[in-house]
Amino acid sequence: MSVLKDRLTKSEFVITSEIGPPKGINIEPHLKEAEELKDRVSAINVTDNQSSVMRFGSLATCHLLAKRGIEPVFQVVTRDRNRIALQSDLLSAWGLGVENVLCLTGDHPSLGDHPESKPVYDLDSVQLLQAADSLNQGKDLVGNELDGKPDFFLGAVVTPAADPLEPQIIKMEKKVKAGARFFQTQAVYDAGQFARFMKEVAYLKVPVLAGIVLLKSAGMAKFMNENVAGVNVPQDLIDEMKSVSKEDRPKKSIEIAGRLIKELKPLCQGVHIMPLGWDKYVPQVLDAAGL
Amino acid sequence: MHATIQKPLKEIINALSKDEKVFVVGCGNCAEKCRSGGEEQAREMKARLEKEGVRVVGYAATASGSSLCKLAAAKKLLLEEHKEEVAKADSFLILACGQGIHTVIDATGGAVVHPGCDTIFGGETVSDDFITEYCSLCGECIVEATGGLCPVTICSKGLLNGPCGGAKEGKCEVDKEQDCGWQLIYDRLKELGKLDLFRQYQSPKNYAKRSNPRSLKLEEKRATFKSLAGLRTIGQDR
Repeated sequence: MSVLKDRLTKSEFVITSEIGPPKGINIEPHLKEAEELKDRVSAINVTDNQSSVMRFGSLATCHLLAKRGIEPVFQVVTRDRNRIALQSDLLSAWGLGVENVLCLTGDHPSLGDHPESKPVYDLDSVQLLQAADSLNQGKDLVGNELDGKPDFFLGAVVTPAADPLEPQIIKMEKKVKAGARFFQTQAVYDAGQFARFMKEVAYLKVPVLAGIVLLKSAGMAKFMNENVAGVNVPQDLIDEMKSVSKEDRPKKSIEIAGRLIKELKPLCQGVHIMPLGWDKYVPQVLDAAGL
Repeated sequence: MHATIQKPLKEIINALSKDEKVFVVGCGNCAEKCRSGGEEQAREMKARLEKEGVRVVGYAATASGSSLCKLAAAKKLLLEEHKEEVAKADSFLILACGQGIHTVIDATGGAVVHPGCDTIFGGETVSDDFITEYCSLCGECIVEATGGLCPVTICSKGLLNGPCGGAKEGKCEVDKEQDCGWQLIYDRLKELGKLDLFRQYQSPKNYAKRSNPRSLKLEEKRATFKSLAGLRTIGQDR
């Protein structure tokens, strides 16, 4: 059984992290990164051609993690595969030891390194959840019986700082109805704003893991504020990053993330840490957060 | 409206073989409105080609407001009105949409054609100088649930159940100038007091209705749509 599911069911505070597969075949260093986090987290997400940049696959990486005893969360975007391929990959994933699936739409291909590719989006994230939930029930999307059924723990994403928030919440509700049993969020930096979001979605009674992205510099924070949807780094955090020398940035980043997690902990059911290359600092962040 | 834009002259010329005698054909309806292929553009194209040394035996366009993609109109234009010049032509350069290109093949009984335009979308003529896309011709209209705005077209990902996480300040992740389609749908449904429609699950689309090629057969009081989803007839007993 999925440890992630087990812990969330028992209302334990859950930690997940993620790795992004390489552009190429050198997967080993990424698996090592995951191994170093293994004892501190419940599961590790594997991104699916993130930012629409073609890479080593999420499914293969998940399988390699599972083989090493690391529980993966298979991220699946609907950008690159039609409903036949998506369902087939989900069945294959179960056969390869994957129990957790995170269903997403995926960035538009125009943002990545193959901008001329054909965007698929045969299904959207809600329909993908519906399809995966149907597989769990022993039927495919059109109702054909399966010869043996999986038992995926299905997740989805939400953007708590979206403006306006209501469309995000309506879609979140649809995702829950379609089969989502946990949520991981876009990066959160404002605990007050996040508390208001959690109040709004309390009626959905679904576990939410707040997204934590380690701040690397004031410049990165400003870049995200200007370019990344649903991310709002408050000015005081930007000033805090700015106040330290370059060598002290990791220390400051760890301190900020640790403090943020402490603030978020009473509000939600877990955190999802996206280190974006700073994997080695994750244990220190968890120490700083008292986890 | 089938919106079109002319191909670069160099691309057009590169597609022609040496000494090929060309007849330029335009369309008085959509292509004229897009300034890509009315009579004026057909005449200009003849002059531009001749300046580059291409042998042009003539030009013609259907009358203003009349479509080239109507086979009878294309036949009249090419086989009657411009019969003599057409007889000298090795090929036709079509300044019209892809339907018009094929109509010339049909009208001439299989002549060699060259596309002079790219067909870019089916659109609404918002004003004389602005045409934009609100429909993707998908064969299965779902705008009852979205306040009349088509998510297949106005959302860059064609999502049916709400916005992705990529919109920032109401603009789409693909282009900061482009409105998020789902922001527009949300605003409209809210204004209409119909947000409950947004809350309803929308099933995956039936792409069999978007199969290629599709056709519509018209009888006196019946219309039959043919696609891979099957035949659908709407007639007297509707």
